[in-house]
Amino acid sequence: MSSNYPSLFRSEEMSLVQLYIPSEVAHDTISELAEMGNFQFKDLNPSLTTFQRSFTPRLRALAESSRRLRLFRTQITSLSPPLGITPLSAVPPFTTVGPRAQNAYDELEGKLKEHERRLADMNRSWEELGKRKSELEEKRWVLRETAGFFNEAEHRHTEIRTSFDDGDGTAPLLEHAAEYGTLPGETGLSGFDLEFVSGTIERSRMPTFERILWRVLRGNLYMNYSEIEEPFVDPTSGKETHKDVFIIFAHGSDLLAKIRKVAESMGGTLYNIDSSQDKRSDALREVTARLEDVDTVLYNMGQTRRVELSKIAEMLEAWTDAVRREEEIFKTLNLLSYDQGRKTLVAEGWCPTRDITAIQLGLRRAMDTAGTSVPAILSELRTHQTPPTFHRTNKFTEGFQTLIDSYGIATYQEVNPGLYAVITFPFLFAVMFGDIGHGILMFMTAAAMIFWEKPIAKGGVNENLETFFFGRYLIVLMGIFSIYTGAMYNDIFSKTLHLFQSGWEWPSNSTGLVTAESTGHVYPFGMDPLWHGADNALIFNNSYKMKMSIILGVIHMTFAICLQVPNHLHFKKYMNIYAEFIPQMIFFHSIFGYLVICIIYKWSIDWAQSATGPPGLLNMLIYMFLSPGNVDPSVQLYRGQAFVQTLLLLLALVCVPWMLALKPYLLWKEHSKIKAQGYQGLNGQENGRHSTSEPLEEEEEEVGMAVAESTDDEHPFEMGDIIVHQVIHTIEFCLGCISNTASYLRLWALSLAHAQLSEVLWSMTLDLAFESESGIVVRGLFLFVMFAMWFGGTVGILCVMEGLSAFLHALRLHWVEANGKHYMAGGYPFMPLSFATLGNEED
Amino acid sequence: MSSFFHVVLVGIIIAAMGAVGWFVLPKGKSQTLLRSSLLLTLTCCYLMWAITYLAQLHPIISPRRSDLRAEY
Repeated sequence: MSSNYPSLFRSEEMSLVQLYIPSEVAHDTISELAEMGNFQFKDLNPSLTTFQRSFTPRLRALAESSRRLRLFRTQITSLSPPLGITPLSAVPPFTTVGPRAQNAYDELEGKLKEHERRLADMNRSWEELGKRKSELEEKRWVLRETAGFFNEAEHRHTEIRTSFDDGDGTAPLLEHAAEYGTLPGETGLSGFDLEFVSGTIERSRMPTFERILWRVLRGNLYMNYSEIEEPFVDPTSGKETHKDVFIIFAHGSDLLAKIRKVAESMGGTLYNIDSSQDKRSDALREVTARLEDVDTVLYNMGQTRRVELSKIAEMLEAWTDAVRREEEIFKTLNLLSYDQGRKTLVAEGWCPTRDITAIQLGLRRAMDTAGTSVPAILSELRTHQTPPTFHRTNKFTEGFQTLIDSYGIATYQEVNPGLYAVITFPFLFAVMFGDIGHGILMFMTAAAMIFWEKPIAKGGVNENLETFFFGRYLIVLMGIFSIYTGAMYNDIFSKTLHLFQSGWEWPSNSTGLVTAESTGHVYPFGMDPLWHGADNALIFNNSYKMKMSIILGVIHMTFAICLQVPNHLHFKKYMNIYAEFIPQMIFFHSIFGYLVICIIYKWSIDWAQSATGPPGLLNMLIYMFLSPGNVDPSVQLYRGQAFVQTLLLLLALVCVPWMLALKPYLLWKEHSKIKAQGYQGLNGQENGRHSTSEPLEEEEEEVGMAVAESTDDEHPFEMGDIIVHQVIHTIEFCLGCISNTASYLRLWALSLAHAQLSEVLWSMTLDLAFESESGIVVRGLFLFVMFAMWFGGTVGILCVMEGLSAFLHALRLHWVEANGKHYMAGGYPFMPLSFATLGNEED
Repeated sequence: MSSFFHVVLVGIIIAAMGAVGWFVLPKGKSQTLLRSSLLLTLTCCYLMWAITYLAQLHPIISPRRSDLRAEY
């Protein structure tokens, strides 16, 4: 296919190309090539480690920059209220090429460093202030909560007093006590001669803390605690911790010291507070005032930080993009070999032959941007290395090609089954999924995805739905074909359409078991609707769908075997045509081709008028092997059947040694001919590489050129290997014919299951509602609920789950049954350097 | 009326459609894709139809049911 246009039929013709790039344009040339995205660079210094390569220091600096950018990004995204990052399209472009690019990058590096320093400063003081703030807050809580304890204690104290002084019955004393109870000094102490420790501790540690204290102090303490409702947020990590305020009364400085120690070792914070209420309220006031100050400072600082970050956010995308590009460029430059003396870089790599002109133009463009007058020079190399496989896909074909690629990357220039999968895949899927209704649902969904393609792609898709979105064109075709096969099966949500004159009619006025009478017509398009609901519909459908799967399977596999031919012709292995293709075809068709012809022949005979009854084709095939040459006249399909079958069987038998022996023999003969001519030892030279740029090679052997030569693998002629390979291949094919044909019966099984399932769903939901005989309101409600269930089941079970299952089976039929017949899949993918795919890899 | 002949006739029509389509389809990047898709679509749909039609051409069994109501 040397057409003017690229096609999916074969992978693109590739060329191994060498570029001589003067070092001053190197950067811009690589950038231009990555912009075009059709050049795959080869590593010309495979022996060098990363550290030995020339541009590693630069790369490290870039990595540092990209680390800074990531840091900024996390800080920006964690801001609340969120700060929008200006999209790339709205930012003035960053100079990534041209003579000023280097300066721009250096400036950027400085700028990033400066920003980082400023941010780090701010973050540090922010953190410190945050810590101060939380300390103050804790203290405030301690003051507030302990006030509660004290008040309670005091209250109790006065009560005791009252009971003591009850006899006096003097109110002033009571008032006095209440008044002086709060005073510092004598009254306070006389009220609580216990001393205390107060502070905060994490809530989870509270029980342990309590237990330890109890043990340490042997119960000589009075402890009180209360929970702080608000969690404390750590300013740096953002982690929330819940804390409790505790106050412990104990007697004696020893015990107090012990409590302090225990509290500190458990991670608690102690706050000194005074037992007098005045001092405490003073302290509270002071703390509140300080807290306010800290808050103001924090707020201001937050604002400054926000401004700083918003400045960064404006340019963040542009910078990230620029740094990413630069990194990619230098990674690529590291792959090139460097000629010190001539100040040129040598690049080598694959590109589509079709694109060489475009690349040459690109090289000139790069020269212009770099502002020099020496462009990079491109020279094409001739090589025996296998080029990478490159299929030019578009948004329509890419989904189909992915299905095939996930089985294996096509060998270079091999016939690509992806081209045919565009139709055969949705078709085989639809054979299993045939239902007009379900097909329409599927089609509509995919059509909507295609219609709103751009907004959906722009808005980003949920990860689970992304797969469906990626396969939207596949799904749309699957839907269309399902509608067609549904029309063939005459199934619409398990119901039927009656569009043409039926071939049957029910006899009038008869009840009980009725048999339809033929009207002499054949329903012209699809399955006769009269079969729907008939008691023996399943028997008829089984026979029809089973035969259909065999016929479709045999045709699909024949097609797959035939795809070998263009391969053999293209790779000039004509021997394979008569040593493999022809015997395979004969073998396959003498058994299964014959079966298909028998099926069709049997359909074309009107058995009502025939003397013999209709024969069972399955038995016919079995007895063709078991007792060749004998056909029972009562089940004879046609005259001379015994002879034909014996002949076919013999043909198939002959094919086995034909496939087995011919190819190894021919290879051996060819080899011994070469040997006889005395070329054996020179095999290597004979296949040697002749470079178009041989004089160059002599001049600079160390540069690049040598690499093209080095990966030179010569297989010695091994008769044993060839024979073993051929034996395996033959056995695989012969057994595969049988098992693969049987494998197509999944078309029957799945389509039957699909039809049955949708019928069951209908009868278990909507049918019940239609037949219910209650009042109109109840019926309406019942219908509504049942419809919801039916629709949910239709979408969830029949469309999604059954769809997935049919999808997998169709995929298997393509991978195993069809691809196994012709697809070598021994290639490796073409992975050009491209800025366009950069972002995707990162995410 | 209905016979094997119909299947052949429709087959010829489909083949003609394929042939016309082969030449009518515009040259361009996707010509190969369009041609192969057209031919495969026609083949698949024709096969499916032909099989369904043939299966009903000379039916060996007739539909039977026991739940018919008298007025039907």
